[in-house]
Amino acid sequence: MANLKEIKRKIGSVKNTQKTTNAMKLVSSAKLKRTEELAKRSRVYAEKLTELLNEIAQKMQQSNADGIDNIYFRDGKNPKKVDIIFITADKGLCGGFNSQTIKRASALIAEYQAKDVKVRLRAVGRKGIDYFKFNNVELNDEIIGLSAAPDFKQAAEFISEVAASYVNGETDKIILIHNGYVNMITQEIREDQVLPVDTSKLELNTVSTSELEVEPDDDDTLLDALVKRYVEYTMYYSLIDSLAAEHSARMQAMDAATTNAKEMVKELTVKYNKARQEAITTELIEIISGVESMK
Amino acid sequence: MELMKLEIITPNGAIFDAEVKQVTLPGAEGEFGVLAKHATLVSLLDTGVIVIEKADGTEVAVAINSGYVKVDEEKTTCIVDGAVALSGEDGDLAKALEEAKTLLKSTESSSTAIAAAVSKVEQIGKSF
Repeated sequence: MANLKEIKRKIGSVKNTQKTTNAMKLVSSAKLKRTEELAKRSRVYAEKLTELLNEIAQKMQQSNADGIDNIYFRDGKNPKKVDIIFITADKGLCGGFNSQTIKRASALIAEYQAKDVKVRLRAVGRKGIDYFKFNNVELNDEIIGLSAAPDFKQAAEFISEVAASYVNGETDKIILIHNGYVNMITQEIREDQVLPVDTSKLELNTVSTSELEVEPDDDDTLLDALVKRYVEYTMYYSLIDSLAAEHSARMQAMDAATTNAKEMVKELTVKYNKARQEAITTELIEIISGVESMK
Repeated sequence: MELMKLEIITPNGAIFDAEVKQVTLPGAEGEFGVLAKHATLVSLLDTGVIVIEKADGTEVAVAINSGYVKVDEEKTTCIVDGAVALSGEDGDLAKALEEAKTLLKSTESSSTAIAAAVSKVEQIGKSF
């Protein structure tokens, strides 16, 4: 009999879990929709900004035979000091979302350390911070709260500080790692080189821009301002992208959990019924044999 | 009069995307107007007001804090950080004016530029 009661209790608790996971899934899917919309809208801005940067860089390269002479366009091939920024979620329960980013960050750190490059880590998001703290890895920056609610101003402040340490030579390269959103069921780790601006990615020499007039006349002023904005925006966009991916990952994880719970309830119910029937059969046999013996 | 395409894009998406006759922009080196077939140009934008003359001749103003503009023959693209549209169409002009002023004052540009922009916003507010 105790077995019967136990199974019943188990069914109840699994059903409760199922309710929770289902609710979390619904919340995530609602949030995902909102974040996706935000990402879609800001993508236009990011695209135009990159396009503009592209053209300016192109113009400078055409007018200057030795390539672009600007601090933000230095050659980043053999860095001595690298800053790695990585974005994780503040919360768990989203499948392999956080661990994937952490894994990639760890791999990158190991890769650079093997080449004798000094690596500094800057973490955004509680999960990444917790992981590296637990493993006694020093973190230069720990930002909590930004990855759950991306704010342009806060993101810009943070990345400006990092960019400043690039300008004054404290670091040679800034890399940003985050888990990006592809579609409802896929996320993809993205690794962006923030600074120096990766000229190999720019589509140079596609259009002649020799007639491009620039105001203020000093190219550097414009380029500096533009790169600054580009860097800020890259950071902000990565945060949004990461948030969208987080929600989609959580949605998936919670969906799987709900399905599993449903199956478990089914199995347990079968078990419960079997146990009940068994109990009834035993009782019947007892009664019948009791009656038989009295005859 | 020939028309050209104008886009105003903020981090929250495009707020203006239509054919216009003319647009006046607050460039870092002074205000300038752009008509269709303008030479290619890239400029920093200062705190100020973008005045758009739409295809039907009506004027719309957009207060911005800072940004860039890229002009070529057929298209003008403004990439701005923050913008508030001031137009007589939506009833809440007073609120828009207030928002525009807050936006302008929150920037880091020189106080003269801000003052000029704010007075322009006020003027536009009176004209409706």
